[in-house]
Amino acid sequence: MGSFPDIRWDFLGKYVEKFIKWIDTTFEGFFDFIHLISSQTINGIDSFLSFIPWWLFLIIIFLLGWRFKSALSGVLYAFFIFLIGTFGLWDVLMITIAIVLTSVVISLIIGIPVGVWMAFSKKFSIIMRPILDAMQTMPSFVYLIPAIFFFSLGNVSAVFATLIYALPPVIRLTELAIRNVDEDVIESAQSFGSSRWQMLTKVQLPQALPTIMAGVNQTTMMALAMVVIASMVGAKGLGEQVLIAINRIDMALGFEAGISIVFLAIIIDRVTSGVANSFQKHRGS
Amino acid sequence: MKRKLFTLLTVLLLALVGCSSEGSSGDGEPEKLDKIVLADAGWDSIRFHNSIAQRILEEGYGYDTEVTVGSTPATLEGLRQGDINVYMEVWTDNVKELYKEMTDAGDIEEVSTNFNDNSQGLYVPTYVIEGDEERGIEPLAPDLKTVEDLKKYPEVFPDPEDSSKGRIVGAPTGWAVNETMTAKYETYGLDETFSYISPGSDSSAVATLVDAYEKGEGWVGYYWSPTWVTAKYDLTLLEEPEYNEEQWNKDFGTAFPPNDVVVAVHKDMPEQAPEVVEFLKNYETSNDLTEEALNYMNENDASAEEAADWWMKQHEDIWTSWVPEDIAEKVKSSLE
Repeated sequence: MGSFPDIRWDFLGKYVEKFIKWIDTTFEGFFDFIHLISSQTINGIDSFLSFIPWWLFLIIIFLLGWRFKSALSGVLYAFFIFLIGTFGLWDVLMITIAIVLTSVVISLIIGIPVGVWMAFSKKFSIIMRPILDAMQTMPSFVYLIPAIFFFSLGNVSAVFATLIYALPPVIRLTELAIRNVDEDVIESAQSFGSSRWQMLTKVQLPQALPTIMAGVNQTTMMALAMVVIASMVGAKGLGEQVLIAINRIDMALGFEAGISIVFLAIIIDRVTSGVANSFQKHRGS
Repeated sequence: MKRKLFTLLTVLLLALVGCSSEGSSGDGEPEKLDKIVLADAGWDSIRFHNSIAQRILEEGYGYDTEVTVGSTPATLEGLRQGDINVYMEVWTDNVKELYKEMTDAGDIEEVSTNFNDNSQGLYVPTYVIEGDEERGIEPLAPDLKTVEDLKKYPEVFPDPEDSSKGRIVGAPTGWAVNETMTAKYETYGLDETFSYISPGSDSSAVATLVDAYEKGEGWVGYYWSPTWVTAKYDLTLLEEPEYNEEQWNKDFGTAFPPNDVVVAVHKDMPEQAPEVVEFLKNYETSNDLTEEALNYMNENDASAEEAADWWMKQHEDIWTSWVPEDIAEKVKSSLE
């Protein structure tokens, strides 16, 4: 009676499937290139982090905490990292940090220009908004499969999947920040005869920096939230440990790896928001 | 700030749910069952066997049935708790420790071996060895027969992360068999010329295979049959020395021993539904019989239920021997 009429449009999913396969074969070389660069970056960061002696790493964490929060926080953060080491997860922690850092850096390289463009072009902004919504709400398992097609198993697919989820906040907040730069400031800069480029780099971006930093903070947290899902395409790191724990119903390992991710999240969140605050203060003075 | 942490924590909690569903089921006398819950751990053959069992339980024994979907560990945990009553395909080797723990504690009971003539190991697409004239693929590794032969052909299976090596797609992360595969990888001396990567999940492994298969490229990885993958894609299992226990216990340097795929039930089942347990004790198929159904599903785009109906019509003699005659009659009439 009230059931849906017998209309079946099944071309959309199939079309997307064909499209993905077409992209895969047509741009194979391009993907290989991206693959090469990203895996070099991840490996580079990872071997750099593994090269640093553990105590130096703890000191760096302490200094970061001290500089952007307080001495006490610094001690606490260093202790967190120390704890992760005692779980026997030191090496996988470094891989996770490498993957998260790479994802965040690429997010910023793509996200900030896109955000700036959206702030300047209303049309582009209208087009991009639903795309950003889709990126954030599309269940990540759906794009894990194309990720494997493009980038094969491993860390690069993980970064790709992480990017899709972690990019939107930095784009949105960059757009918002640039739009909200005080009219008066822009007018006075104009009256001094600044060019458009000068306006952007010397006035708008610095003014917008605190908000953009809030975006960076969110993007980093989202990247961290993806580590477990990313390990489903073969990424190593803490996420892989969680996955192993799930597959074996190993509560102990699950908790250790899980709490390590929480520790890492707390540290990254506090430090990046501390950075954002210090920009805020600079502007205030 | 709090919100972000909250999101992160939620994700982690969700991830940990699999590890923490302990102890809510009540004690005391097991109640009579009016609904039997089966486990669907996500692959096609278990769905097919579920559908056969459901048909017989519903039409023959008059039970309501329900299927609970979840990952292997989650559904096994459900079986232990009694939220799931029947598990048609436990791949005992793949969950060895957990399964042993559960049967030793008497939480679950093994009632029969569904089949144990399945195969597993390292597969390559057949065109890698023989080529494929239709698709214009030259044989990439014409003399590849055994796992050890792989050593001659690392360049056929290039690792995108390390161009000097070949790559073996291993068993999914955290599966017990992954450790076996890593050991074999070293035993056969493949570690010099190959890297070994564990895909995070079964579907990730299949995705790499499908990608390579459609491009006609080399691929070597762990898989097993019966599955829709081995039914749909023309794959060849690389040979290993014949199984012998001594060698296996030393370094896994032989073919896999038969992996018992068993039917298991919750510990209360024999009391709750003795006639059902009686039926399940007789439940026995084989690799080929199962793969027939998987093939049917694949070729006709059929559901597991349709495949089960088709299969039961084809093999009446097999399943009617599992149940008393009157039950068989009832089921038979429902199939027509």
